[in-house]
Amino acid sequence: MTDDVLVVDGVTKRFGEVTANAAIGFRVRAGEVVGLLGHNGAGKTTLVSQIVGLLRPDAGEIRVAGVDAVAHPGAARRLVALQAQGQVPLDGLTPRTAVELAARLRGLPRRAARQAAARLADELDIAPWMDQRALPEGRGLSGGVRRLAGFAMAVASPAPLVVLDEPTNDVDASRRRRLWDAVRRLGDRGAGVLLVTHNVLEAEKVVDELVVLDRGEVVASGSPARLTAGMDDGLRLELSLPPGSSDPTGDGVPVPVLQRVSAGRRVLLVVPADQAAPAVAWAGSLRAAGLVDGYTLGPATLEDAYLARTGSAGTSGTGASTRTLAGTATTETSNHA
Amino acid sequence: MPEQTSAESSALLTANPSPPAPAETGSWSAYRSLVRWNIAQVGSVLPLVVVVQALLAAGIIIGFGFVIPDIDAATARYLATGAPTVLLMTVGLVIVPQGVARARTDGTFVFLRSLPVPRLMILLADLTVWLLVALPSVAVAVVVAELRFDLALVLDWPVLLAAVVLVTVTATSVGYALAVTLPPVLAQLVSQVLVFFVMLFSPLTFPASQLPEWFQAVHDWLPVQAAGDLLRAGLASEAYSADARDLVVLVAWCVLGVLLGLRALTRRD
Repeated sequence: MTDDVLVVDGVTKRFGEVTANAAIGFRVRAGEVVGLLGHNGAGKTTLVSQIVGLLRPDAGEIRVAGVDAVAHPGAARRLVALQAQGQVPLDGLTPRTAVELAARLRGLPRRAARQAAARLADELDIAPWMDQRALPEGRGLSGGVRRLAGFAMAVASPAPLVVLDEPTNDVDASRRRRLWDAVRRLGDRGAGVLLVTHNVLEAEKVVDELVVLDRGEVVASGSPARLTAGMDDGLRLELSLPPGSSDPTGDGVPVPVLQRVSAGRRVLLVVPADQAAPAVAWAGSLRAAGLVDGYTLGPATLEDAYLARTGSAGTSGTGASTRTLAGTATTETSNHA
Repeated sequence: MPEQTSAESSALLTANPSPPAPAETGSWSAYRSLVRWNIAQVGSVLPLVVVVQALLAAGIIIGFGFVIPDIDAATARYLATGAPTVLLMTVGLVIVPQGVARARTDGTFVFLRSLPVPRLMILLADLTVWLLVALPSVAVAVVVAELRFDLALVLDWPVLLAAVVLVTVTATSVGYALAVTLPPVLAQLVSQVLVFFVMLFSPLTFPASQLPEWFQAVHDWLPVQAAGDLLRAGLASEAYSADARDLVVLVAWCVLGVLLGLRALTRRD
């Protein structure tokens, strides 16, 4: 007897020369929220497409609530509710109709579908827009309300596994918080939730486990506490470099450096807590010499751990590495056509 | 994790440690919901489609009338009874691929394919809605023809209804197959070329005998002429008849279109 609602084992997916997923393995248990973190292009959405049977893995096994999703994608789809990364096709519909229809399509009776729509409208605080029609070219409803309606459509009918691909994109701060609460409640009601995001700091608040993907590979997994372990006693020294300057932190840092990440014009150093004074003195001298624009010192966070694990910061030319991860929801768009 | 208010948590935290069981979706219920979904989506463009069809019908019947200066009754009837096929083919081969191409780029296609409903139902619901979109074009064409040429058409209703459904489903499923098999940009390009083929190079508004022999042979195997013959037999039963071959060719194209559409919905790359 197992309570795994998702088992991903050795899943590999290639597109020509590009390996989008390389032997990925992790599991989601009933009642658990697992965050799948990674930069743009890390292979997250490719993996999701395989879980719901839109793509076939080249190798590996995917089991959804005990069903072999590679061999029986139709049967597995009944067990997974997906909020895809792109906007849901709402045009011409009101959120209420869309949520009710989505629930009906997932097998809920009419009455239960209506109740679910009303409940989710309250939970997500989108009741004022529930009967407003979405129009083409993004008119009628804002991106945030569309996104929340997409979330409601995915969760209106119960499913053992819920996959949410960047659910907070375009959503304002207060409703984002309601959405995270709703995600947490899905887990509390017994569903397994796979939460795909690049929003590290927000994910930290809601997930039980984290899986970090980098260029198609799992580079770290475990609870947020475990991933930040070793940084607990560390402080994060963030240096902002002037445009076009070279990194002044190569050699000759006067304090021990536990971890070092360069991200665009930012350099993040994790230093031992008892070295705060010399670290600040050193950073101050760099600023006085004009080698850095400014600096901050604070406790090390999951974001630092994430950047350190993904390792690509500052070295890859993809542009993903220069993005600030903290708290900002950036919009990714892609299609699976 | 932000704290929940006590009211929220008491209302929403129902203790249920085991994963929730999914509900079963019946095919018929899924079909009805999908049809509702599709109607809502095309609803906003539906009036536009009808206007375009009316303009196209007027263009064919009145415009082509200018090309032939002293049009006799037989030619007028041929033109008028060919126009509905042009319209149905245009909806199927142009408007459907454009709609499907949009669905592929705006996420509708992924959304529908991720739903736990039989793939056939997704296709059938789509075909149903396109049938509803295409239907007015036959009426529009007949009305325009009667106004322009003062024709008295003898409708054979059973043949007409069967022909309209078969022609529309064939054109729609072929258009659908085109749109899901080719990359979106290429599909749009091909569908534009097909309009010219249907309007100018197909024996719908003129008799097949005016085409070179080799081209007549090509049309023997394409669905356009067969569709025209069948609809004509329903619209003016006193003057035209269709044969079994027309039916066979059309059904074969219909099956091919449905199979290709179904394959695209089921395929996992």
